[in-house]
Amino acid sequence: MGQFLQFALNGLMSGAIYALIAVGLVSVFKATRVVNFAHGYLIMFGAYFYFTFAVLVPQAAWAPEWLQSWRPDWMVEMRADLPMFSPLAAVLDWMANLPRILLGLAGALICNALLGMLIERTLMRPLMGQSVFAMIMLTVGLISILSGTAQLIWTSDAAFVPALAPNTPIRFEMFGATIFLFGADLANMLIALAIFAGIVAMVRYTRSGVAIRATAEDQSTAYSMGISVPRVFSRAWVLASTTGAVAGAILATRNGVSPALGLFGFSVLAIVLMGGLDSYLGVFIAAMAVGVLEALTQWQLGGEWAGIVPYVAVLIVILIRPHGLLGSKEIERI
Amino acid sequence: MITGNLKASYAADERVLDNRWKQGFVLACAAGIAALAGFGNDYVILIACQMGIMLIAVTGVNVVIGYTGLMSLGHAAFVAIGAYAVVIFHNAAAGTIPAPLLTLLALPFAVTVAALIGIVVGLPSLRVKGLYLAVATLSANFIVIFLIEQDAFARWTGGMNGINTPTANLLGWDLDSRREQFLLIAALGFVSLLAAQNLFRTRVGRAFIAIRDRDYSAEILGISLYRYKLMSFAISAAYCGLAGALYAYFYARILPEQFGLDLSLMLVAAIIVGGMGRTMGAVFGVIVIVMVPEVIKVIFGGIAGGGAELAQIRAPVQSIAFGALIVLFLLFEPFGLTQIADRALRALNRWPFARG
Repeated sequence: MGQFLQFALNGLMSGAIYALIAVGLVSVFKATRVVNFAHGYLIMFGAYFYFTFAVLVPQAAWAPEWLQSWRPDWMVEMRADLPMFSPLAAVLDWMANLPRILLGLAGALICNALLGMLIERTLMRPLMGQSVFAMIMLTVGLISILSGTAQLIWTSDAAFVPALAPNTPIRFEMFGATIFLFGADLANMLIALAIFAGIVAMVRYTRSGVAIRATAEDQSTAYSMGISVPRVFSRAWVLASTTGAVAGAILATRNGVSPALGLFGFSVLAIVLMGGLDSYLGVFIAAMAVGVLEALTQWQLGGEWAGIVPYVAVLIVILIRPHGLLGSKEIERI
Repeated sequence: MITGNLKASYAADERVLDNRWKQGFVLACAAGIAALAGFGNDYVILIACQMGIMLIAVTGVNVVIGYTGLMSLGHAAFVAIGAYAVVIFHNAAAGTIPAPLLTLLALPFAVTVAALIGIVVGLPSLRVKGLYLAVATLSANFIVIFLIEQDAFARWTGGMNGINTPTANLLGWDLDSRREQFLLIAALGFVSLLAAQNLFRTRVGRAFIAIRDRDYSAEILGISLYRYKLMSFAISAAYCGLAGALYAYFYARILPEQFGLDLSLMLVAAIIVGGMGRTMGAVFGVIVIVMVPEVIKVIFGGIAGGGAELAQIRAPVQSIAFGALIVLFLLFEPFGLTQIADRALRALNRWPFARG
């Protein structure tokens, strides 16, 4: 039971990150009816940007010293008389990294937003109104372009990147079993859930959110009501690429920075189809379910089997419910 | 010059190659391939073999994507199944069946296994289409490669480390040089292309085209979607299985990772560049897709004599080139190179009276 809870919690934590990635896919689909097969590679770019601004830039010769490691006098004093594994020491270590973490996040967000805008402007907009096939294939072509470009720019090997939150071990009792978590993982989950909730609330309540929903409902009516549909498109892409940047930064701290991060996008694609392409709630349920299933598979069958859980799950769900758990059914006319 | 449809009998109208130009073109191609086998140097033969193997696979992809309109991103799985089926068949039957007959039996075996698995992978196409089907086939590709890599099957498949492949042996004739293998590949490739051209003259092929153009209308016209969608998957998987079998005979060793997403994307890229739903589309597409890495190699060699650093950059540049080809063709020439060829031929045909 204790182990079950432990793995289920781990699963929920990775499920939250899946949900964070999925929110970008769903938003782009809602606004533009395009499913971005290359979303995983946008995330990979986010991870590489975070790596650049949080590791490579502070290491550069021209960067000020506090950027690499911020140690004011009071912090050194406090650190000096703490024992080895105290939580406060972990927090202080994290604070020493804080400047470069913030720089990394800011850089990743800005660069990824620009990248998303660039893709939308140059590639997606000329194909607006074309067949679904052409647009999907375009994002498939984008996969090759993005992965090749990343390999050209960042040739150095995967390196350590600073975690987003203090990485103190947390131990607590739950139903009579001891659960063991890492502070950074917990913080990642909270960040992911907060962003997910924020975006759902934005789409529900703000003006630009209403514009996105109106465009999803009917493009030409939205146009005639004075909504600038191209702006909605580019906003959705920026939303997707910035959430992708955060997800990329989180994944980079968990699994390291490598071109393999792009493959992550395919499992999230499977999750999104499983939940229903245009339903935030369905996607959230699917993401959490796949996260937990993956963790349990890892526990029972070993790590390698966990990799195909999303694909098997999506095949089963699609065969039973072709439009996903909560997706709306498309009505086709001949 | 062809000025109209001047056929006097149904027999003439029903022919696979319905005019003299087409017949002449096919004969010229056959002669060209024979000449290539006789006079081409080793490098040319190597490239031609790669093209032949890819051509068979891309023709299969064309059946399902180009003619039936079912989006599939998982056809590398069928190539993998064909390749592994040949190896497993050879290893299992080595003692019982005489060696001269092995290849003749292994090829149909690989094709059959691939077709059967094609039917299984095609099952989601009955429920979903478009995007959902693309993801379902993509998932199938991941799952097939994963199963091949498993330790439980490593006794037969070699697992992650790959497995050595046998040499083809046709009735005692060992195909152990590239030139001899080229004869086999070219013959099978030629036959597959003609078979594809013939398919779309028949009831089955025209049912596929009806499904592509509008699946519900096709069903109203009495075409069983259930039957023909699965048949389309089976036929295209059979083509890919044949390509995989030749792949296994051609290379000394196969690895599961060779049949991953990259190969699936390459097959789709070839059909987009060449032109979907046209027999010659596969040919044009394969020529471009196989030549791109070679051209990049030549360019890089010309710039810096092929240093070690440049060799590292080559793989990413190649992948950017593939992606750019897909994107540019979709944006500017969605019907691919066949469309360009058609335009050129039409201009030639009407010259000097009109252009375009």
